[in-house]
Amino acid sequence: MASVFGSTLKRREDPRLITGNGQYSEDIQLPGMLYASVLRSPHAHARIVNINTDAAKALEGVVAVYTGKDLEGKIGTVPTAWLPPDSNIQTPPHEVLAVNKVRYVGDGVALVVAENRYVARDAVDLIQVTYAPLPAVAEQEQAIADGAPILHDGVENNVAFHWQAGNATDDVFENAEVIVKQRFRQQRLIPNPMEPRAATAQYNPATGEMTLWATSQNPHIHRFLLSGILGIPENKLRIVSVDVGGGFGAKIACYPDEAMVAYAARDLKRPVKWVEDRRENFLVTSHGRDMVLDVEFAGTKDGDFTAIRVKNIANMGAYLSTAGPGVPTILFGLIVPGAYKIPYAAVDVYGVFTNTTPTDAYRGAGRPEATYLLERMVDLFAAEIGKDPVEVRRRNLIQSHEFPYNTAMGLEYDSGNYEVALDKALAMVGYEELRQKQQELRSQGRHLGIGVTTYVEICGLGPSQVAGAVGFQGGLWESATVRVHPTGKVTVFTGASPHGQGEETTFAQIVSQRLGVPFEDIEVVHGDTNRIAMGWGTYGSRTTPVGGNAIAVAVDKVLEKAKKIAAHMLEVSEEDVRFEDGKYSVEGAPTRSVTIQEVTLQAYLAWNLPQGVEPALEGTAFYDPVNFVYPFGTHICVVEVDEETGDIDLVKYVAVDDCGRVINPMVAEGQVHGGIVQGIGQALWEGAVYDEQAQLLTGTFMDYAMPKARFFKEFETAFTETPAPQNPLGVKGIGETGTIASTPTVVNAVMDALRPFGVKDINMPLTPERVWNAIEKGRQEA
Amino acid sequence: MKITFQHTYNAPREQVWTLLQDEDTLVRTLPGCKRLHLVRDGLYETELGLDVGPIKGLFEGHVEMCEQEEPTRYRLKLSGRGKPGELTADSWVFLEDKDGKTVVTCDADAQVSGLLASVGQRVTGSVARMLLGRFFKNVEAELRRSAS
Amino acid sequence: MSQKQHVTLTVNGVKRSLEVEPRQLLVHALRDDLGLTGTHVGCDTSQCGACTVLLNGEAVKSCTTLTVQADGAEVTTVEGLGDMNDLHPVQEGFWEKHGLQCGFCTPGVMMTAVGLLKHNPNPTEEEIREGLEGVICRCTGYQNIVRAVQYAAQKTSQQGTAVEVAAAGSGSEE
Repeated sequence: MASVFGSTLKRREDPRLITGNGQYSEDIQLPGMLYASVLRSPHAHARIVNINTDAAKALEGVVAVYTGKDLEGKIGTVPTAWLPPDSNIQTPPHEVLAVNKVRYVGDGVALVVAENRYVARDAVDLIQVTYAPLPAVAEQEQAIADGAPILHDGVENNVAFHWQAGNATDDVFENAEVIVKQRFRQQRLIPNPMEPRAATAQYNPATGEMTLWATSQNPHIHRFLLSGILGIPENKLRIVSVDVGGGFGAKIACYPDEAMVAYAARDLKRPVKWVEDRRENFLVTSHGRDMVLDVEFAGTKDGDFTAIRVKNIANMGAYLSTAGPGVPTILFGLIVPGAYKIPYAAVDVYGVFTNTTPTDAYRGAGRPEATYLLERMVDLFAAEIGKDPVEVRRRNLIQSHEFPYNTAMGLEYDSGNYEVALDKALAMVGYEELRQKQQELRSQGRHLGIGVTTYVEICGLGPSQVAGAVGFQGGLWESATVRVHPTGKVTVFTGASPHGQGEETTFAQIVSQRLGVPFEDIEVVHGDTNRIAMGWGTYGSRTTPVGGNAIAVAVDKVLEKAKKIAAHMLEVSEEDVRFEDGKYSVEGAPTRSVTIQEVTLQAYLAWNLPQGVEPALEGTAFYDPVNFVYPFGTHICVVEVDEETGDIDLVKYVAVDDCGRVINPMVAEGQVHGGIVQGIGQALWEGAVYDEQAQLLTGTFMDYAMPKARFFKEFETAFTETPAPQNPLGVKGIGETGTIASTPTVVNAVMDALRPFGVKDINMPLTPERVWNAIEKGRQEA
Repeated sequence: MKITFQHTYNAPREQVWTLLQDEDTLVRTLPGCKRLHLVRDGLYETELGLDVGPIKGLFEGHVEMCEQEEPTRYRLKLSGRGKPGELTADSWVFLEDKDGKTVVTCDADAQVSGLLASVGQRVTGSVARMLLGRFFKNVEAELRRSAS
Repeated sequence: MSQKQHVTLTVNGVKRSLEVEPRQLLVHALRDDLGLTGTHVGCDTSQCGACTVLLNGEAVKSCTTLTVQADGAEVTTVEGLGDMNDLHPVQEGFWEKHGLQCGFCTPGVMMTAVGLLKHNPNPTEEEIREGLEGVICRCTGYQNIVRAVQYAAQKTSQQGTAVEVAAAGSGSEE
């Protein structure tokens, strides 16, 4: 049988999605269903003086109107699920609907439930709220300054937490031959999955069972948290998230809206649907990044890196989102040394409340920010000592024979072959020729720039023991059940919750290869808490390294049992049976064989099973990885900058990634493509803007620049395969590498192009205006 | 958001001043004014029906004229709340005599919130200028009317 | 709200009659009244294109079209493009070339591609990228969407005939 694992196969999820037969949360239609709409605060910070809902309630078709006061004591608050240790973290209550005070534009004030979506909107407009506006603050450095408006009583200077890690003392820097310092601003990004959030709730008053179809990356976590908020036992609460239209981190968090919708369905004993519009999505669904980073980087004149130290002031928004505090701390801080041998590293992180939308994970979550500052610093350092940035990188990369490698931040990198990926990317792009061409063009007044990133990232979250040690309020193992039906067809139940990444396909490939059943005979089930025992969901590029390996272990359990039955059927001892391509045969007599399907049927008939073997055939695994996984690679970008307009032309983009063994090259490449575009989006176009009153100015697709097809030329992608040594499948994650690597790659390229003008750094996004101004400033200073 | 608007009237400063301070004129000249009700000296409750780009709908709020220094300047405050959000504006109106004509300058600092801010901010400035322009043109018409 | 109006449309070849508010958006008629949930709403401002359908054969955004504007018109949604027994070349291209990930924008992107190929059966890569200006995809990075459209164009020209969107049913009353 040809290898299924490692082959490009068309996706299993596509037939329903290309014919309009998907099942997204908003597609659920139930008899007697009502529609909900939320009145949101137009103020960034204000006391609620009075709410008059009379006119709204009087409107024909309105069934109920709830305010924060109506819900007080009847529903819990929205919890934070990541509490970094030793950080003095403050978790002031996040009310489902604001009772006395609103803290950002978009904070929920009232919920209307009506017979149709248009009436619900009409009624929202009829609610009269009297606010007493308070001074507001949107920017984190202003928020921690003395005299800034305080968001939460008792939270001094709006500091939500202060977390430190690593060790890089002053004397290391004082004794350094070369020191480079730079401040970077990681601008706030808006994740914008194309499907806005939606929730449809149905309650059975007789049984007390609640079903909630919701846009979730992690239905079991939502069940866990919503169970607490709503007071519904977990065994009566079902969360369904079969088709989810992208998440990128924004559908990890538990939001007030889903809880309110479920509350209303129970209260009214009728199904209720709520769908966010895009403007609400901009205002309410979690944002990403938003960090002010002060970096000190030390090294020798020869080019050895010796230390890195970072102060990170992170904007957490008005409340601490579900996983929010983990992003600028654990997920950011631990990977700061990157792919290099840096003896000393330290981070000092402040999480700050502001009158803005809460921030949480956004594709890469912490690692893009860390990789950005590191890769930018490496280029600045190389320029400082007058060496080629590739040469400097190569000199400091961890070598393949040095793995497992213990970093200054206490991580043990599993494996890597960094130079192989670097050399492959250099060859693909033609680095030496490019440098020559750059020189030639410069003499003609044209500005070509070449940017390189050699990254490593930490993903496959992660060993549960570590999760606990770093304050994540959950486990990070994954469940899998592989059920072989009497006819030999297979259903796989996974606790991971893919929402576009293609694991219905790649997981079937894992099972097909390992169990020897045809790919077509395997169905993968996910995203339903009533069908799946338990799961921690899809984020942090954990689905394949954790969820996929859980499946591999479950298959092995099936095989272990099947082998006993096969040996019994073949009337030989187990040691004499070998398994290959779905067939058990007798060692030395290959014609004496039974197929896995024949074994399965006997397992179910149970007429003649070996002693001590139970009927039926399925395997369940709860797989907890022993370590994270560390994908790596090299991305190279070539740009040309127009000095007259500041416009950036993306001339070429090359990506070489290593995610261990590749299950489906087409799917893996797709992940890289999407990641690159999101990362370039941050580098060149995207950025949330708040005004001084903390009003979000970039609140629609007219104002927030999303990458479009015509912004790009074709990317060239390739993989190197260094099997992950610490999991059965040898796989690492690939969902976030593109985003992590591409942002610094592009910015490095632009800065390389602008070298003749003495430009060292420009805040992202690198809009033509900013680039042009930097060129002009450089010219004046020259 | 700072907005400055200027308009020259072919009339003496005192006449323009009187017109600008007059309640009846105000009702007729405020764009979309549906109601103007005196609350106390210089402070009016008002309803404006606006329909310019994203600023559309009925706005309820207050207009206040105060700190008058006849005939050179006065302060004009505006606050309104409507479906698309809330807006407030604090402005100084200056009247300058120029060869028998009157140059009126309005320096306003406007703030918008809600939908107006997130969707309309890009055009709010030009809409505000347009509304101010309408107001000054309406005053011009009033001047011509009183002259005829 | 105001008086409901009677509207008759031919959706995917089937004549449908509806009583709708004048302000109702076409996408809500399709999704809520006719149960055709393949067409999605991704934004409120006509930027994302997830709601794109064919109205009398032209790609339009159904989130900024009123149902009453479509009175008497022919509407084709993704459900009418083709089924698994008879996929439209554009659908086939998206499947073959991995032109979708989460699939949410996909129906709209495919309808846009159908509209694009109708006017330009053999587009260059650049023309395809320009032609996708009215859609946003957050997952794919567009490269495989471009390949999918190229696949569809090639397939269509190989078949030697312009592919008309199959209109299911005979246009009879529902």
